[in-house]
Amino acid sequence: MNGDVICNEVIGGKMTIEIGRLAVKIAGRDAGNKCVIVDILDDKYVLIDGETRRRKCNVLHLEPLNQTIKIEKNASHEDVANSLKEFGIEVRVTKPKPKTDKPKKKRKTPEQLKARKEEKRKFRDIFKPKKKEDKIEPKEGTLEEKAWLVEEKKEAKAETTGKKNVKPKAAKKE
Amino acid sequence: MPAPRLRSRSLRKVFSKVPGGRTTIHYKKRKPKTARCGNCGALLKGIPREFPFRMRSMAKTKKRPERPYGGVLCSRCMRQEIVNKIRQ
Repeated sequence: MNGDVICNEVIGGKMTIEIGRLAVKIAGRDAGNKCVIVDILDDKYVLIDGETRRRKCNVLHLEPLNQTIKIEKNASHEDVANSLKEFGIEVRVTKPKPKTDKPKKKRKTPEQLKARKEEKRKFRDIFKPKKKEDKIEPKEGTLEEKAWLVEEKKEAKAETTGKKNVKPKAAKKE
Repeated sequence: MPAPRLRSRSLRKVFSKVPGGRTTIHYKKRKPKTARCGNCGALLKGIPREFPFRMRSMAKTKKRPERPYGGVLCSRCMRQEIVNKIRQ
């Protein structure tokens, strides 16, 4: 076949890289998993499928095995899975995600907007801050009282002090 | 003169400039060594060099490369290991 690459590293005979050749992936997160070469893309790259993901792969990242499978070029994933069952290799199955559309934003109708406004008004009434008139009144009274008391005391003091000063003078005059 | 317990080099010195203008020495714990390959001893890539308490809060995928022998062997040794197993 044209485009075949000879892997010289393998001990005990030259192993060609061809379509249907079983191999083990050496590099990456699929390392250690068996796969089949499905297509030869380049003198460097091949398409693989099997225990690994179906993907493009560098030839240097594969270790070819002795076994081969009869597969058509660019065979589908199902065909590969059926043919690999003979070797007891279970193919990696990925569940495709169900396609879902993005949720579309819908404009609200004027009726809905009105209902929303009314709801907001209701909440406003509930959370309105209470008036502090009841609490302030007794405080004002007490403050006034205190103020008066202070004045009274001052007057009383002034009276007492004045009397002391006045008394002797008055006595002298008399 | 630093305190006797700080005169050993088990703690690392960090020079920091204080607002007053002078430099002070802060003594901080040393970080653990970088991870190395179990086979050849090469420095492993993709493994953060952090304190254990910080590593504990990290995701598993952030702590080591996601491949067989990830965080234990370097990629080259891992390939050789797999190839040797196949050829046996």
